[in-house]
Amino acid sequence: MTRGAEQPTDEDLVAAVLGGDRERFGDLVDRYQGRLVNYLFRLLRNVDDAHDLAQEVLVKVYQVLDRYDPQYKFSTWLFRVAQNAAIDQIRRRRLKLVSLRQDDDEGEGRDWDLPSPERGPYGEMRNRERADAIQEAIDALPWEYRELILLRHQAELPYEEIAQLKQMPLGTVKNKLFRGRQMLKEKLQDFLAD
Amino acid sequence: MNTGGAVMKRPDHNTYREWLNLDVDGELPRSQRDELDRHLAGCAECREERDDLMALDTLLQTSSIPVRPDFKDAVLTSLPTTGWENRHPKTWAFPAAVFLLLAGIAAALFGSSHLEAAGSGASALVAMADMLGSTVQAGAGLLAATWKGLGLAFAEVIASPMSLGVLAVLVISLNLLFFSLLRRRRSAPAGAVERNGRR
Repeated sequence: MTRGAEQPTDEDLVAAVLGGDRERFGDLVDRYQGRLVNYLFRLLRNVDDAHDLAQEVLVKVYQVLDRYDPQYKFSTWLFRVAQNAAIDQIRRRRLKLVSLRQDDDEGEGRDWDLPSPERGPYGEMRNRERADAIQEAIDALPWEYRELILLRHQAELPYEEIAQLKQMPLGTVKNKLFRGRQMLKEKLQDFLAD
Repeated sequence: MNTGGAVMKRPDHNTYREWLNLDVDGELPRSQRDELDRHLAGCAECREERDDLMALDTLLQTSSIPVRPDFKDAVLTSLPTTGWENRHPKTWAFPAAVFLLLAGIAAALFGSSHLEAAGSGASALVAMADMLGSTVQAGAGLLAATWKGLGLAFAEVIASPMSLGVLAVLVISLNLLFFSLLRRRRSAPAGAVERNGRR
């Protein structure tokens, strides 16, 4: 990933780390921490779990950094590791992809603090309502659409990288994203006009 | 999904809707984008669709959670020393430098007698071989002396029941100490590494 002419690419940073400059790994963390934590948060639905797993993923990636193949994008590799780790965790914990409201009833509870664009008691209530609706809409998507929507909107991967990561034809990725978005739009229609 | 690249006829309404999705993601080719813009100018339904898609994109963006401020530090401090780091030339740079320094000193101290017979590089190697040989001889002598000393000490211990008793107590105490240390280590939590400020 290139960010301007003067910014080193991910591949440059990986080469620097492998060359003995351990501190450059911090630059990679800076680049991906937001997307990685949010991607995992949407899959695991818990802030602490998302942070913990994001840390584990980054450590794991560091441990096997010498196996990174620069012919692929670093981001593709990172999110493939993240997705596998999240699936493992979901399986391990037998996390059922049920609605947030049910979770609250069961005592597991949601646990996040979203930034609040709207202030005041009504605004806070509206933000909470919106956050619930988004998570419910994402959870309601069939897995094959959900994973692509999250890779696009949370991990911010381009279509080609998603196709590579999921080993799908590019046309299938476009098609599934289109259908997934239509489903989300229907579920979130009330909030789109805000 | 038809992106219309090779299609010569005018795209249908559904194709434009698909293009709108690609456009929101910045994945629509320039030529199709111009055609889409022309279509949008005359189609209120597609304009509404575009607004909805953009609103959805914004909605998903603004619902992101903030990353904890200590996250990066937590990651960097928990990075282990890995196998590939050990194999890295940088890891061996210091030991190699020390080795070369010792080789240089050895050459200076012991290599003078060989300087006339060979070049300075060869003399350093010969000197190192001399030094290595001497070290092996000295080590072997030390080991022999140690075993001899241990043998004498052991003979003295078993000769006296009092000394034998003290030795037995000492051995049992050491075993108990090792055993308790082992148990404490096993009972420690597996994920004792600090994560994101939490344990």
